[in-house]
Amino acid sequence: MSHYCLVVDLDRCFGCHACEVACKNENGIALGEYWNRVIQVGPHGTFPDLEQYWLPVQCQQCEDAPCVHVCPTGASYRDADGKVLVDKEKCIGCKYCMMACPYGVRSWNAAEKAVEKCTLCGHLTAAGEQPACVASCCASARFYGDLDDPESDVSKAIAAADASSVHSLKDVGNKPATRYILSKKIATWHDVDEISPASDSADPAWFAKEA
Amino acid sequence: MEIQWSLVLFTALTGLAGWLFVCVAVDEFLGRAKKASFPAAVVSIVVAIVGGLASVTHLSHPDRIMGALSHPTSGIFVEAVLIGCLIVCVAVYLVLLKRGAGVGARKAVAVVGAVFGVLLSFMAGESYLMSARPNWNTQLLPLGYLLTVAPAGIAAYLTVVAAVAGKGAGEAAGKDAAASLELKPYPMALLVAGVLSAVGVLAYTLSAGASDGAAFGLLALAVIAGGVVPCVAGALLPKKPESLLALAAASCVCALVGAIAYRCIMWVVTVPVADLFMTVI
Repeated sequence: MSHYCLVVDLDRCFGCHACEVACKNENGIALGEYWNRVIQVGPHGTFPDLEQYWLPVQCQQCEDAPCVHVCPTGASYRDADGKVLVDKEKCIGCKYCMMACPYGVRSWNAAEKAVEKCTLCGHLTAAGEQPACVASCCASARFYGDLDDPESDVSKAIAAADASSVHSLKDVGNKPATRYILSKKIATWHDVDEISPASDSADPAWFAKEA
Repeated sequence: MEIQWSLVLFTALTGLAGWLFVCVAVDEFLGRAKKASFPAAVVSIVVAIVGGLASVTHLSHPDRIMGALSHPTSGIFVEAVLIGCLIVCVAVYLVLLKRGAGVGARKAVAVVGAVFGVLLSFMAGESYLMSARPNWNTQLLPLGYLLTVAPAGIAAYLTVVAAVAGKGAGEAAGKDAAASLELKPYPMALLVAGVLSAVGVLAYTLSAGASDGAAFGLLALAVIAGGVVPCVAGALLPKKPESLLALAAASCVCALVGAIAYRCIMWVVTVPVADLFMTVI
């Protein structure tokens, strides 16, 4: 089975949030909700020896996806290409998948009263285009493709990186497929359970201003 | 995470209904309060239905609920099947009672229903075991779900017994009737269930790591209301049979409050591996 996912080169990412904005525009995501979000990790260390990196997060296309296991209706499912997707027409809104996602990267669509998440822009990739976040990345830090295909962009990006620089979000048995490239020369990788997500939009006052 | 009241009430009420029917099933064998069997089973089925409806209020699309039957491995599917089986068993039991069916058939249906009732109270908690939430991911959680509703169910049964015994017979006669019911096994069961409930609550909450005032407040409520009160009532009942209705009703209310408090603890203390979108569920 193919294994489509994203690979993000954090050595290149400089936290412009363009992928976040492009995702919201492409998929019509409501204010305050995300399918893709850029998390600021750090700064860590002692001045002047500080480290910081940006971690764009979205559905990790887990190999053993807990959201699919807990969904009572099959609304969260794996398609023929191996992609974890949500069929909103089947969602009963129990939110068990949101509780079961180890990374909290699912969103609630209040208008449709259904759970949703990154689709890897299936409507674009089916037409031979790149996902919106990949196409909009001005640092060329994002790659999309099949991990099982050595000729795919994701496989090439991973192959080009030093093995010690390739990371994934903390695996609690779900086997996340998304890979992050972060070399020691840029920053030390931190597991997601060790970081406190920080961004402008974490501040309620920011939301009030935006609204 | 915010307390999901629909799920709290669903698991507490269906658990109470299940354990209430366990008492009905036990009395099929003990025969201490035969007159209470019918009303107790009616209360059980009504509470189970109300509990089931409470769970539906959690859903944003209850119109698609039948889709839940399409994925047999999910926790919601198991809960739905168990509550359905419990309700069917209690309904069949009521029909058998009304028609004066054979004791063997009644016993068989009551035992099967009781098994579903106990399983339901456990599996309602089992559904929350997920690796994404480390302090839910312990068998102590569903064990607490099971243990905290046991005193509520037993006390509810004794309340029905007391109400039936006193009905239409005058207060004095009611006291006599209550005293003559030879209910000894039930107060003892209430006492033991109260102790086990308190132990279950403490075991899970301490393992989960209650860390703030709200969690400790709920812990105290769950232990005192859900464990100590039923335990004390169970100890007092053999000495004060004339107070059966008051003690049983008070125990039932307190045990239910304790069971609800225990379920609230779970929502208050949960910490996901990561909450990268910082979503309020």
